[in-house]
Amino acid sequence: MYTRWNTLVLCLFISLFMVCQPAAANERTIVFASDATWPPMEFVDDQKNLVGYAIDMVRAIAKEGGFKVEIKNTAWDGIFAGLAAGKYDAIASSVSITETRKKSMDFSEPYYTVRQALIVRKDSSITNLADLKGQKVGGQIGTTGYFTIKAAKDLEAKSYDEIGLAMEDLNVGRLAAVICDDPVAADYALKRYRDTLKIVQIIEGDTAEQYGFAVNKGNDEVLALINQGLAAVKAKGIDKELQQKWIGQ
Amino acid sequence: MTEPERHGTQIHVGDGAAIPHRGDRGLVSAWWIAFIGALTLLVLLPLYKPDPYLAIIRFIPDGILITFQVTISSIVLAIAIGLLTGLGRISRNRCINLIASLYVEVVRGIPLLVQLFYIYFALGRIVRVPDIVAAIIAMAFCYGAYMGEVFRAGINSIDRGQAEASHSLGFNHSQTMRYIILPQAWRTILPPVGNEFIALLKDTSLVSILAVSDILRRGREYASESFNYFETYTIIALVYLLITLILSKGISIMEHRLGHYERR
Repeated sequence: MYTRWNTLVLCLFISLFMVCQPAAANERTIVFASDATWPPMEFVDDQKNLVGYAIDMVRAIAKEGGFKVEIKNTAWDGIFAGLAAGKYDAIASSVSITETRKKSMDFSEPYYTVRQALIVRKDSSITNLADLKGQKVGGQIGTTGYFTIKAAKDLEAKSYDEIGLAMEDLNVGRLAAVICDDPVAADYALKRYRDTLKIVQIIEGDTAEQYGFAVNKGNDEVLALINQGLAAVKAKGIDKELQQKWIGQ
Repeated sequence: MTEPERHGTQIHVGDGAAIPHRGDRGLVSAWWIAFIGALTLLVLLPLYKPDPYLAIIRFIPDGILITFQVTISSIVLAIAIGLLTGLGRISRNRCINLIASLYVEVVRGIPLLVQLFYIYFALGRIVRVPDIVAAIIAMAFCYGAYMGEVFRAGINSIDRGQAEASHSLGFNHSQTMRYIILPQAWRTILPPVGNEFIALLKDTSLVSILAVSDILRRGREYASESFNYFETYTIIALVYLLITLILSKGISIMEHRLGHYERR
């Protein structure tokens, strides 16, 4: 009986070690989180693969920077909490660099510049933000698009978990407009809902809005690796190729 | 002659007094501890650390209002649907019975979250309803099925003799139901309806996925802007706890009053 227990415990330990063994010790793996509901920057294609501008960008940076990369599809609401909790090393999810965010995380060099776009239905007569007095305007929770709605006066702001849900609500007429980053707005208004939605205004902010990769405050090791790879990607002009591939113009 | 020595395990035969009964004064009331604890925290936290706790508490009141609005509208609708379904389930009319039974089987077999998505987004393409109305319809539709079962059980709990006596007095089927059965069944039905009410209130947190600005949605909006996840969700949990504690106390008082007439 005694020996049988010993064998069992031994087996358990062995299997535990096999599970815990690191895949490859020689190359550093950096785990990125990405909310893949933000086409064309990061989304899931019909083959269930994570694809998009930012996904290709991260892979290119990893190649240039000499590290391995793993991308976790993570819901947007809570993506920053997960970073703080150490569930992943960095966020590659079209995170705009803002002063508020800089207080709780560090950012890489910017990799893309965006503006906020106002989307309405094709049959709508609204042409700018001022026309929307008292009406319902939607955006994704915790995004700069939603903050723009909140900052505008006399709007009823509605926050959604995913931008796609807001677009659908705009499509069926529960919202008067949606505000989000312009590449995403273009993807929805020119592709997915090209028969029903249109972009009417690009809202110019006081400062340029740029995407960066977010890491925990003080995680200089990962930040340096990302920045180093990003510099190489820019020097080789890969970012231009990706822009052509995913966004056009 | 000496008494035989006692060895081994002894079994004491008691009268069940070791199990405390409800309302035993020797028991510490878990309800009071939870209630006072939640209330104290909700008052002290903002006083002790106004930033961010006070800001959070200022941010969510309209969410509480929406939560109540959804809860109360849905429960009223669900009780109406439940009554009809309960009556349908005991109906001898095959068609009505089938419809009611089918409704209960289908709705109970689909998760509430899926129903919410279905009514809001799938049916949204066909019929356009405002978000809050869609939420109320979905909640009432789901809870109507649960209520139907509660009503059916309540009606079935009334002794058959009551109906027979009523018929022999010349009451027809619907009069029997209305004047004899339902008034008695109500006592059995009310306590589980109260529990469903609390369950429904907690489940309304699911409607936050439909961009309905309830307590949870407001909290998430705050947290997503300030990154104060711990503080925000602490307050949200405490607010829900306080509301459900007050409701559960109300329901147990109601149960007690009903029990007053019922002692048999």
